[in-house]
Amino acid sequence: MYRIPPKGSKERERLIAEHKACTESMYGVAGFSSLLCATQGDVTEVSGGMHGDIELNRVLLRMRAQEAKGKLVSICTKIDEEWRIARLSGVRGVPPKFVDDRVFTEENEVQHAIFLMRLDEMSETDGQPEDFNEGWKRRSDNWTVT
Amino acid sequence: MKLTGYADRLSVRPGETIRFHINADFKGEYDAQLVHLINGNTNPRGPGLIEKAQKASFNGAHPAQRQKIYSGSYGFVEDLPQFHVDSVTLQCWAWPTIPKTDPGYWKHGAQALMSKWSKGKGYGLFIDADGHAEFRINGQSLRSPFPLRDHAWHFIAASYDADTGKAVLYCEPQIQYALDPESGAVSASWKEKIATPAVPFVLAGSTERLDDAPEARASRPEGVVIGSHYNGKLDSPRLCNRALTRLEIETMKMGGQTSQDERRGSGPTPALSECLVGAWDFSVGIDTMRAVDRGPYRFDAELINAPTRALTGHNWDGHVFDWKQAPQQYGAIHFHDDDLDDARWQVDFEWQVPKNQKSATYAVKLTSAEGHEDYIPFFVTPWPGKPTAKIAVIMPTTSYMAYANEHLANNAGGAELLVYRVPVMQQQNMYLSEHREYGGSLYDTHTDGSGLCLSTRLRPILSMRPKYDHFLSQAPWQYPADLHLICWLEMQGYDYDVLTDEDVTYDGLRLLEGYNVLITGSHPEHVVGSQLDALHNYKQRGGRLMYMGADGFYWVHSYHPAYEDRGRGVMTEMRRCESGIRTWRADPGEYYHQGSGELGGMWRYRGRYLHTVGGTGMSAEGFDISTYYSRTQESLDPRVAWAFDGIDFDEKLGNFGLVGGGAAGLELDIVDTMLGSPPHTLVVATSAGRHTEGYLLVMEDFGFNQQGLDGTQHPRVRSDIAFHETPNGGGVFAFSSIAFCGSLPWNDGDNNISRLVGNVLDRFMQDGPLPAAPKEAVKPRGRAEYVQDIPAAPSESQPFRRAETV
Repeated sequence: MYRIPPKGSKERERLIAEHKACTESMYGVAGFSSLLCATQGDVTEVSGGMHGDIELNRVLLRMRAQEAKGKLVSICTKIDEEWRIARLSGVRGVPPKFVDDRVFTEENEVQHAIFLMRLDEMSETDGQPEDFNEGWKRRSDNWTVT
Repeated sequence: MKLTGYADRLSVRPGETIRFHINADFKGEYDAQLVHLINGNTNPRGPGLIEKAQKASFNGAHPAQRQKIYSGSYGFVEDLPQFHVDSVTLQCWAWPTIPKTDPGYWKHGAQALMSKWSKGKGYGLFIDADGHAEFRINGQSLRSPFPLRDHAWHFIAASYDADTGKAVLYCEPQIQYALDPESGAVSASWKEKIATPAVPFVLAGSTERLDDAPEARASRPEGVVIGSHYNGKLDSPRLCNRALTRLEIETMKMGGQTSQDERRGSGPTPALSECLVGAWDFSVGIDTMRAVDRGPYRFDAELINAPTRALTGHNWDGHVFDWKQAPQQYGAIHFHDDDLDDARWQVDFEWQVPKNQKSATYAVKLTSAEGHEDYIPFFVTPWPGKPTAKIAVIMPTTSYMAYANEHLANNAGGAELLVYRVPVMQQQNMYLSEHREYGGSLYDTHTDGSGLCLSTRLRPILSMRPKYDHFLSQAPWQYPADLHLICWLEMQGYDYDVLTDEDVTYDGLRLLEGYNVLITGSHPEHVVGSQLDALHNYKQRGGRLMYMGADGFYWVHSYHPAYEDRGRGVMTEMRRCESGIRTWRADPGEYYHQGSGELGGMWRYRGRYLHTVGGTGMSAEGFDISTYYSRTQESLDPRVAWAFDGIDFDEKLGNFGLVGGGAAGLELDIVDTMLGSPPHTLVVATSAGRHTEGYLLVMEDFGFNQQGLDGTQHPRVRSDIAFHETPNGGGVFAFSSIAFCGSLPWNDGDNNISRLVGNVLDRFMQDGPLPAAPKEAVKPRGRAEYVQDIPAAPSESQPFRRAETV
């Protein structure tokens, strides 16, 4: 498993730069992938990102595989105009809660903001034996889709 | 969302009446306006929301009325003298799914297995908030020493002898593991006279209160709010009017078949059976919403909110997999606290559809001065045999029901891996996340984690709305995505009728005959068998079909017969069985529908390949971004070249769009003659090699996991635009991508996807048979063998010639 690159590491800075470039190239697309559009907002030609950077690819997959409890999501608060970041409760019937006051005015901008938050929040050894807990035996090991 | 509503039907014909049920959770009034809803996508790169106000008798202000949904399944028998007992024994098998819930859980607290108990009076068998079995007599409580194990069968029984005051509770797990504590009976001595309240006897719940609040009006019996909903399976509940010994309890497991003579010796002895009040046998009437009592009084319980039946009981032996073959092993009902069959709201207004009302996609737009807003979509459809246009669009309403009020982004940790980005949720998702009473979709698991296999349309379906982007696509999905097609038809000035899945399912060919061409929605995934029959019969008789999407005709559905009296297609059922894209998986032995009794799962595994319907079938899915198509050499074939009039061979087809930025995206279909595509099918364009690694081959196409299955690697991860002729001058065009319709309205409809679809529609809508294919096109074709026009002598080592050998 690739480690989640720690603060101050060169690979972390590189991943952040690559992810930011990908994200900004996706502004205007009705969808999103961590890939670089040759022309901003046009997915005719895409490259780099997850396809070109194996480390970014693996780190993003680890981030996406987190269990529902505490997971960061984007909430549209004004149709086609405003988005905010929230955290899932992991408890059915308990809605997500906003994590801060930031309001994003570009839908795909949130993707990068959450990437940065997860780099700070996740342990370097996420998903490795150091992280073992009782839940791994009982379906909280990022396995189930639902 | 303080303003929500639903109609009593999705499809209404001229002259019929449609009723609207509105929750307006504020004082004052709201405004209702009939609109012709043409486009629901608010993306600034598209045409934006398009709605046209229409005349209707109900237009105008209406008084606000607060209405609530009352969810959670249970069974009840009305209050009758036989339930007023002095002493009592309660017993059942239980397989609880969440015996202990998180304090923040929406219905945290005790769960009742069977009760005639309310506000500290009566008797009942419960699971307490800590997950222990609990026996209640009035305010007294006796609980098992250890909590129940979730997802495990337990036999639970309790008795109270009013003469001696002795109360006993047994809680016996069916499987005892090596390090489990010994389970045993617990007892107490009480001086209680059972104060039986005048409330129903309830299975899987207990009476919370009696009142006339909105929730109680939606409950059954009306005015009685049932609480303490149980989550899990319940099997063989029994109620006796005296305290039985443990041996008598054991005998009573056999139920209500009393020994009438020496030849019919099953069940309790005549003497023992004298104490029997009720012995419910859930293996009887599995396709109904009645829980049959085989005891002497025939206290059949009415089941409310559609619990799941046709599930394995405590005695399932693993040798029978169809409940119809051994119903006695299917005596379990799974109750869920979020089950829902009918919101049961009061009618706020109704509309008799004028005889000359145009068939179209309508909605009632609800607004209030405070800024609240909701839309209730419905469709005015023609009567069978009375088409008013040459074109009919079939709105995939069964699929809308399957996706109704879906919770995946909120509940599924893995949803982000699926969509390959952080999910974007909408206001509707937030509302549903704390209003589980609105029920879930067939993609969800219930609040207890078990698969959700029944979906009703008698509730507000907040995912079937304009201005709603789905987390899967970050764009419209299903209903609002199908409006892209409606928008394009309107832009281009076509005259068309609108039909729905339920119309086609019930009316069959008599509804379809008379149209020159049928157009599907973007994702007609969920279908009842008779709809497939109707489409086949239509195509066989020269009809033309335009399959505008992908992942169509995939899952087996049936409409539950117990709800036929409330309308057509009220409750749809689907089971996710041995393969296919499954957000949950049915357990072994639970593949057969409770309503129709048919085998559920994919049509493919019923021998009805999806590729036979539209010529292409599901091959891959991914949800990050879309891409474009390139024409193939087969597009130059004179059989189909007409479709590309005005389109250059090397044009990028659909490298634009309002769904993922391209026409080929989300879920993708391909031609596969081994899976039912007719052998003469032409692939005229394909997106092969252009998808991201977020796109993966469907699991039903491979036998074991291996590398190389994503869009950057696997040749089957693609969408094929395909054409084939059908008998008697018919034809089928498949566009094979869910994102496809999102490209139609791009640039106000001036684009090559619009041109291609326009060419096909113009040809398909003409009267009379399509021009015959050139004579040389008529020739034998194999399925796997595909080069047959070059004569070759078969030999033992080479029975046929493959292309690479040519």
